[in-house]
Amino acid sequence: MLKKKICLLGSFGVGKTSLVARFVHSMFSDKYHTTVGVKIDKKTFPLNGEEVTLMIWDMAGEEDGAPVKLNQVRDAAGYLLVMDGTRSKTLEVARSIQQRVENEIGNQPFILLVNKVDLRSEWEIPEATWDELRAAGWTILETSAKTGDHVEEAFLGLTTRIIQAGDDDDDDD
Amino acid sequence: MTTTMMTNPGGDAARTLALANLPAALDLAVFEVTGPGFVGHPVGALPAWLGLPAGIPVDLCDQYPMLELFLPGLDVWEGESDVWTETDSTGQDRYLQAVAALSEGRRFLVLKSLPADLHRLQQSDHDVQIQKEKIERLSRELERATQAKSDFLARMSHEIRTPLNAIIGMADVLSATDLTAEQKRCVEVSQRNGVALLELINDILDLAKVESGKVELEQVGLDLRDVIARALEVVELRATRKGLWLRRNIADGVPVHLQGDPNRLRQILINLLGNSIKFTHQGGIEILVEQDPADRTPGRLRFGVRDTGIGIPPEKLDSVFENFTQADTSTTRQYGGTGLGLSISRQLVELMGGRIWVESTVGQGSTFYFTANLVVPEGLPASGPDAVAEQQPVAPPSVTSQPLTGMRILMADDSEDNRFLILSYLKRRGCVIDIAENGAEAVELFRRNSYDAVLMDVEMPVMDGFMATREIRSLEKAENRKATPVLALTAHAFADMAQRGANSGFTETLTKPIRNTTLLEALARYAPAEPQMPPPAQDKILVTIDEDMADVVPGYLDKRRAEVSLYRQALATGDFSAIRNLGHKMKGTGSGYGFEELTALGAALEKAAASQQSEEIAVKLDELTRYLGSVELEYRKA
Ligand SMILES: Nc1nc2c(ncn2[C@@H]2O[C@H](COP(=O)(O)OP(=O)(O)O)[C@@H](O)[C@H]2O)c(=O)[nH]1
Ligand SMILES: [Mg+2]
Repeated sequence: MLKKKICLLGSFGVGKTSLVARFVHSMFSDKYHTTVGVKIDKKTFPLNGEEVTLMIWDMAGEEDGAPVKLNQVRDAAGYLLVMDGTRSKTLEVARSIQQRVENEIGNQPFILLVNKVDLRSEWEIPEATWDELRAAGWTILETSAKTGDHVEEAFLGLTTRIIQAGDDDDDDD
Repeated sequence: MTTTMMTNPGGDAARTLALANLPAALDLAVFEVTGPGFVGHPVGALPAWLGLPAGIPVDLCDQYPMLELFLPGLDVWEGESDVWTETDSTGQDRYLQAVAALSEGRRFLVLKSLPADLHRLQQSDHDVQIQKEKIERLSRELERATQAKSDFLARMSHEIRTPLNAIIGMADVLSATDLTAEQKRCVEVSQRNGVALLELINDILDLAKVESGKVELEQVGLDLRDVIARALEVVELRATRKGLWLRRNIADGVPVHLQGDPNRLRQILINLLGNSIKFTHQGGIEILVEQDPADRTPGRLRFGVRDTGIGIPPEKLDSVFENFTQADTSTTRQYGGTGLGLSISRQLVELMGGRIWVESTVGQGSTFYFTANLVVPEGLPASGPDAVAEQQPVAPPSVTSQPLTGMRILMADDSEDNRFLILSYLKRRGCVIDIAENGAEAVELFRRNSYDAVLMDVEMPVMDGFMATREIRSLEKAENRKATPVLALTAHAFADMAQRGANSGFTETLTKPIRNTTLLEALARYAPAEPQMPPPAQDKILVTIDEDMADVVPGYLDKRRAEVSLYRQALATGDFSAIRNLGHKMKGTGSGYGFEELTALGAALEKAAASQQSEEIAVKLDELTRYLGSVELEYRKA
């Protein structure tokens, strides 16, 4: 059995906790509860005939004066970078976190999740920005924790890429 | 159990029990840790929320993955972990922190539960932050929508003004032909409504421009008296028709040479004057200018437009400056208009860093005040040449009575309607007109001939007005010809027009639909001082006046010259009472200034107007024009 640690990173309020709740418990709530510290969830599922256990670290959102705790990311096999399409500021936060995390743990696989796609009419980030990020090699998924859109794809996609990336350097149970 | 503890505190058994229960009572979970693998042995009772069976060792890192980061090795055993969230056995989220403590060589790990409202403060911070971002986003959206609206209006203005141009212009042309009384009335109605529609469109466009922040203030030198005179000039006909007087009163010591935006200032004054005229039926309107009593900074002025009109009830005073709120809707029915002028004025005043308000007494009149920050240029005396307060009727500068005799004009316009319209305006003005149907033709004609002025339509096929004017300018350079005035005609009312026009070399830009007087005035500015063809023989009429009248007489004559166009407009619209008023005034003043002839003509015009004899009026107006064009002054020493 494979066991992998992944982190959800991003600004506060972008939907990290909601994405985990949707993926692990198939639930969604409109209520907003700031995550305190970190909350670790576990989910086991089959992937390509193999059982995989994901240790999902849902971390407190980054904000002014409280940056992501890099020590908590250190042994992650990959991460989901989450932003809120309705808040253009959260893209800047995501970019900046990605930089710091890459400096800390190197080229681990990650996917940028542009969350709240159910509110697409309120999005205001120009198409060109996505093109530019894709050109820089980023994988981008538009998700909604509310409707479940692309949530499975996000977690399974990241896991697949982690497994591909880690085929040679195996350090799991 | 508790009772036992309290009644028998000294008992050994009780003490052991109490110690064993202490961690749980303090809401702490205590484990003694033995390696390897961080196995934790519960010490005493564990708090119920932990959901772990008592007395059974657990693999702590397996149970709480957070601890993997915190417990680096069994040899270093002290400190506090980061906080994490754990769902407890009741489904409640708890905020936990681990503390490592070494005691007599034994390693203990204590889990403590932090207050459940820990997230509250952060939460409300986040809520505020998210709200703030949402408001910022909405205001950006609003801005984009406003932008779209104003772009739309700019496009529409072009689409609306072009046909309106044709409608109003043709009505003007029609009104100058022989018509029955019935037909005349029809044409009048069509003219009046065309103009009203045009004004409405202009107001809406102005408002859209100001609202979308497209208005940029100029900071140029201005003469306060000139700004006021030009504002009064615009409304004079309307006032005269209603028999109202107009005055200006610039207080002693107010500087008249200033820096600011003369066009916007004039626009505000015109709007306020127009509003006052609308609601005043007898008496008149006065423009007052004085130092702002609330702010003595030089150049900080307070303008007032005081009327003797119907006044505004106190409860309506606040709302008159809002969009589409005339004092009440029946007002709109009775007086027409949208009241947009006032809200445009408010926006312009605020843009200029001032304040606008109104004081009013029902039945006695209103005074609209606004303040403006104008700059007193350095090196000029703070106080202008108006040594004493003026209180006199105003003489707006005039040009319309200047003939265009002998002026050579090149007109480029692709629309046959427009060409016909302009030709009919210029008919009988004595000018010579060459016609081009596009920019390329215009450039070709310009190469072969010389002109006193070029009327250049902006939107044309083959070569547009921008391009054609650039070509003309470079032609002038290459051939060392002096710059010819190029008057651009466009239905685009928006600001960047002016910039593009200036880049291409337009001398000025006239907005379509263009009215007869506007065109004639504009052209007259560029009429050659010495007509190239001799004008029809006109004897000079020499009038001798006292030298001490030299200051006022030229102004008096200018005002009469300006009035000619007012007479003609009034005649065109069949407004005999305006003609009667004008004639009456001239009758009363002419001889006082030394012009018996003007008194006689005034009397004749008044009389002809009283009996509505259009033809007689036309004859007398021609006489007046001739007289004003031929009169020369000679001064007699007092
Ligand atoms: N409409 C919509 N709301 C979402 C979505 N995901 C999360 N939310 C809401 O956004 C708020 C913040 O979500 P949360 O998961 O706590 O964000 P976190 O701070 O990144 O963990 C909550 O009110 C959620 O209900 C989504 O996909 N669509
Ligand atoms: Mg969260």
